[in-house]
Amino acid sequence: MANRILRAWRVVGTGISFSVFGIAGLLLSLVVFPVTRLVVRDPVEREIRNQYSVHLTFRLFVGLMQALGVVVVDVLHGERLAQRGQIVVANHPTLIDIVVLGSLMPQADCVVKKEAWSNPFLRGAVTATGYLPNDTGDALVEACAERLRAGRTLVLFPEGTRSPKGGIGPFRRGFAHVALASQRPLRTVVIRADPPALMRGQPWYDVPERRLRLSLDCGAVLDPAQVAPDAPTRGTAVRKVSSALRDFYAKTLQTPGS
Amino acid sequence: MASRDEIFEWVSRVLREEFEYDDEIRLESHLIDDLDLDSIDAIDMTVRLEEKTGLSFNENDLKSIRTIRDVVDLIDGRL
Repeated sequence: MANRILRAWRVVGTGISFSVFGIAGLLLSLVVFPVTRLVVRDPVEREIRNQYSVHLTFRLFVGLMQALGVVVVDVLHGERLAQRGQIVVANHPTLIDIVVLGSLMPQADCVVKKEAWSNPFLRGAVTATGYLPNDTGDALVEACAERLRAGRTLVLFPEGTRSPKGGIGPFRRGFAHVALASQRPLRTVVIRADPPALMRGQPWYDVPERRLRLSLDCGAVLDPAQVAPDAPTRGTAVRKVSSALRDFYAKTLQTPGS
Repeated sequence: MASRDEIFEWVSRVLREEFEYDDEIRLESHLIDDLDLDSIDAIDMTVRLEEKTGLSFNENDLKSIRTIRDVVDLIDGRL
């Protein structure tokens, strides 16, 4: 009985959190971003400011979800994500991974589905923040590398979509192209969801039996130059970097977290 | 004038060198599903084939390419 009440509460708490998040997003688009547009002339500085506003919103959301008892977030070495000029990569078990990562990153460039640019609710946000549309090919790689060279930090999910339950899906190699083109380190974040929740295709109100515990281990750095020092072509180099990182995730996720 | 067999040999060699494939490459091999090429690989492959054949391919030529056979057909039709 008590368990059922607690679970019902977590459904309500999740609903409240997502609603507040939606309202906060609307305020960003309708108030914060337009004001920044008037006040900050320099387009790059404006993007960075707007990304900071998104960061604060994400912090609010993560704080609210924890305060309402919907989720416990455990972060190891979160300060590492605030370093400049690195590529933060993570596995992607839940819907809210990017929000938790973003709550630790005052500045983060993200790659977003290009459909967002034609969605009236999202267009304002993705243009104000300078997020990058997920076009295929060299143009996106070069755009990402340019941000990194300017000292900005980028977040990428190598799987390109949410992970299968408890494991790791196939990798798209875009992140490896970006790492090799920019010669910037890959900062690995291992995300564990216990019990599995907010998975792909799962509605938000389908909350787990126990309170969700999300743990993030912001761990080692993978240097692309060391993984593929003398690969003959870029096609072979990206495959080496990609499979090295995927092996790391597959192995790490087999062992339970701390 | 190169035979289709020779063209097939060029294409397989480019793929082996460019991406280090150990697996067998066949005419029926699907570039994405079987050989796991992505859009950037396709660019690299095209550049190498252009160097090899002296032809140049535009985006339209490449749109309908799905399998190794399509690549061979494209080159065979131009040479």
